[in-house]
Amino acid sequence: MTKIRSALSSIPVAAWLMYAFLGWFIVAFLIYPNLNVYYEIFWGGGSFSLDAVHKLISSERAMKSLYNSFILALSLVVTVNLVGIFLVLVTEYFEIKGAKILRLGYFTTLVYSGVVLVSGYKFIYGDSGFITRVLSHLFPAFNVNWFHGYGAVLFVMTFACTSNHVIFLTNAIRKLDFQTVEAAKNMGASTFYILRRVVLPVLKPTIFALTVLLFLTGLGATSAPLILGGSEFQTITPMILTFARSVTSKDLAALLALVLGVATLLLLTLMIRFEKNGNFMSVSKVKSALVKQKINNRIGNVLVHTAAYLLFVIYIIPVVLIILFSFTDARSISTAMLSPGEFTLDNYITVFSNMSAFKPYLVSICYAAVASLAVVVLTLMASRILHKFNNIWSRTLEYALLIPWMLPSTLIAIGLIVTFDTPKPILGNTVLLGTLWLLLIAYVIVHIPFTLRMVKASFFSIDGNLEDAAKNLGARSFYSFRRVLLPIILPSALAVLALNFNNILADYDLTVFLYHPLYQPLGIVIKNSTDAQALADTQALTLVYSVILMIMSAITLYGVYGRSSRSKTK
Amino acid sequence: MKKTISLMMIFTLCLLLAACANGNSSTNQGAASPAASNGQTEPQSSQAPVNEKLIVYTNSNSDGRGEWLIDKAKAAGFDIEIVGAGGADLTNRLIAEKNNPIADVVYGLNSMLYEILTQNDVLEPFTPEWADEVEEGLNDPDGYYHSLVKQAILLAYNPEKYTPETAPKDWSDLWNKAEYKGMYEAPTLLGQGTPRIVAAGILTRYQDPSGEYGISKEGWEQIKKFYDNGVPAVEGEDFYSKLAGGQTPIGAMVSGVLASKEKQYGVKSGIVSPEIGVPVIVEQTAIVKGTKKRETAERFINWLGSAKTQGEFAKEFNSMPANAKAAEQANEDVKKLYASIKTQTMDWAFIAQNIDNWAEKIELEVLK
Repeated sequence: MTKIRSALSSIPVAAWLMYAFLGWFIVAFLIYPNLNVYYEIFWGGGSFSLDAVHKLISSERAMKSLYNSFILALSLVVTVNLVGIFLVLVTEYFEIKGAKILRLGYFTTLVYSGVVLVSGYKFIYGDSGFITRVLSHLFPAFNVNWFHGYGAVLFVMTFACTSNHVIFLTNAIRKLDFQTVEAAKNMGASTFYILRRVVLPVLKPTIFALTVLLFLTGLGATSAPLILGGSEFQTITPMILTFARSVTSKDLAALLALVLGVATLLLLTLMIRFEKNGNFMSVSKVKSALVKQKINNRIGNVLVHTAAYLLFVIYIIPVVLIILFSFTDARSISTAMLSPGEFTLDNYITVFSNMSAFKPYLVSICYAAVASLAVVVLTLMASRILHKFNNIWSRTLEYALLIPWMLPSTLIAIGLIVTFDTPKPILGNTVLLGTLWLLLIAYVIVHIPFTLRMVKASFFSIDGNLEDAAKNLGARSFYSFRRVLLPIILPSALAVLALNFNNILADYDLTVFLYHPLYQPLGIVIKNSTDAQALADTQALTLVYSVILMIMSAITLYGVYGRSSRSKTK
Repeated sequence: MKKTISLMMIFTLCLLLAACANGNSSTNQGAASPAASNGQTEPQSSQAPVNEKLIVYTNSNSDGRGEWLIDKAKAAGFDIEIVGAGGADLTNRLIAEKNNPIADVVYGLNSMLYEILTQNDVLEPFTPEWADEVEEGLNDPDGYYHSLVKQAILLAYNPEKYTPETAPKDWSDLWNKAEYKGMYEAPTLLGQGTPRIVAAGILTRYQDPSGEYGISKEGWEQIKKFYDNGVPAVEGEDFYSKLAGGQTPIGAMVSGVLASKEKQYGVKSGIVSPEIGVPVIVEQTAIVKGTKKRETAERFINWLGSAKTQGEFAKEFNSMPANAKAAEQANEDVKKLYASIKTQTMDWAFIAQNIDNWAEKIELEVLK
């Protein structure tokens, strides 16, 4: 009897509760509604049909777009990693004059994205853009329509997609033990050799995680190909979005999304295997902080400085132009001409004058705060399990959490609606449709895979000895998690939190299906007032809202990320 | 750092609680409303009827139209909450919410979308008091939806590039005459409403029950030429800027936004009036099936579509009312425009049945 009692008390109740909660959450919100939507789509008519496959294979355009998506994804993995690693080395590793200002420039992609970002680039390189005008002035034979197709899309996306590098690689490189660099230097290793053999291996887990995300971003590219691709370089996602909204073509959307999702999973499986084969981490117990390295080679130094400042200019100009043009009217925007007489505050007055519209900001901020925090907590739990165990259950858990990558967000929304519009036993017979919860749950679901990748990567760069030491000193599992592990991964976790928060603020695709009618989020209000059907100066309003969102995002980033990084350097 | 975290935790908890409370109160409202409507007096009794808060879905609330309507409704004794989104999104949403409807009334969507709604059993039949005042042929013959505002999908051109003589005479000129090749915008963004109507306006000319999705082989060839010879539309760009700038001087425009675009870009456009007519979409209104506030909803629709409300709306927002009495009060420019064009006869039920398949086929096989 006492034996049983002691056996029972040794079972960690809290841990089991956590497992039970995770299991329930995954079944109720990741597996059930998403399987349901696949079922409705493919078997909805009573029998399974391969029509969708046939339609897609016989469409030249669909096949070409799919091919382009993969080409773009693979190219981005190369170009963004190159640029991203360079940016982080410039701001964190090498001694570069004005690195702090450069960093601000490189951070700009964190506060704006999508259509606005691409339009920003079009202001500069488009047919009436600034650079184009300079070039055509210098070379009269210059073709003003040069900026479109594969090259243009790759150019814009290469610079647009470095956000994650700037945040997570920075976190990773700060964990580098400077003693290892010193040791290599003392042994006479060259700058490049140290980079390759000492610095990069430490960054490897993070680079792997970022590579998977890049591949997915490339496959999911929407606005850049739509605006700059021209007819010669269209990708598949715009087609998926169109089909997902139409009543009869959902099967095509689901099928295409499945193809992209499976490709991503394959890459991920490959990466997970690589990760297992070798996780490099420093074995030093007393780490010393990184000292910025001077580039001794004069020519090399000049080259790196030039490249760093050139990149800075590329990053900063679109943002400056967006802010400037938000003070002009549609005609100035479409011709990309700035003249001093045209500046006006009218656009801002229009946006802020009908301020029953403060409520949407509040609704969106609440949703974004709660959802992004919930995602991080959830993925912390999951990463903890993945870090602790390696068995069939942990692997199942990991793949289950990646399900949202297999469906476009529109279909995830539809899955939630068709599943939870009637009482379901798994939720204690409550109806979620028409409550505030449904949208919150959807935001959480959609951001799980990305968050998990990043949180997990930082978990796996932790030295296992630390936890063992805590255990040997008698710390309980939760205590050692809270006092030893959490502080190490907190910078990355907070960064993900901020990124998710910013993403949710102005989301439209998912929100439009699920928001509670009485609590309209910001994304809906923006879309309504900048819709093509609207009468007002819609292009100018789009820019005004973008500037507002940039400011909100910048505040979030400063609050969460800027402060935490400063406290670290103290 | 620790303090910040715990503060954030507390903040979150508060939010969650607030969310909880809100959720509860809204369900309470839902539970209370049937009782309220049961105890309510008949509208025709001498006592003033009690109006409950209505949830109204619409796609035409931008540019202050929503705020205007809320104010006017308030003056007439109605408490409404407007939920605005794009037409296709609202249609999807209404169908998705079928088992647990949130909206009471929907207005502003075009007949094609209302056909999709009736086919999915989302609407409740109701004939408003003003139904007879509406121009013939616009209301739903089955009585599910009734008409508010007319919108013509026009073929517009830049008058500095073309004169009425050199401009195309019909959509078909665009791909049959070499001089218009590359001079017009091809409506490729088929996720949006207007491009779909333009495509439907061309395809329905080639109706053939034995053809693919009800369209003859010739029809599919014609539409392919139409898309091949045009300049694809670009997401996020305002077409009117390209019409005004002369890069793409010909393309489709919705009549309701024409006046403000002309003012914005300082270019007044020429309008083609084809022999066959132009597609005229009609914004309709209907009661959502399963509403618990049916009587208030009926009174609201009676007020919304009345000659008085629609006439005032037309004056304020340059619209063309479907209500003949209200149409007399429309602005002169709008009346002139509608006098100069003819309405193309289109079978909306047929279009609603096929439009998704057409869009899919165009996306997959017609576009390059």
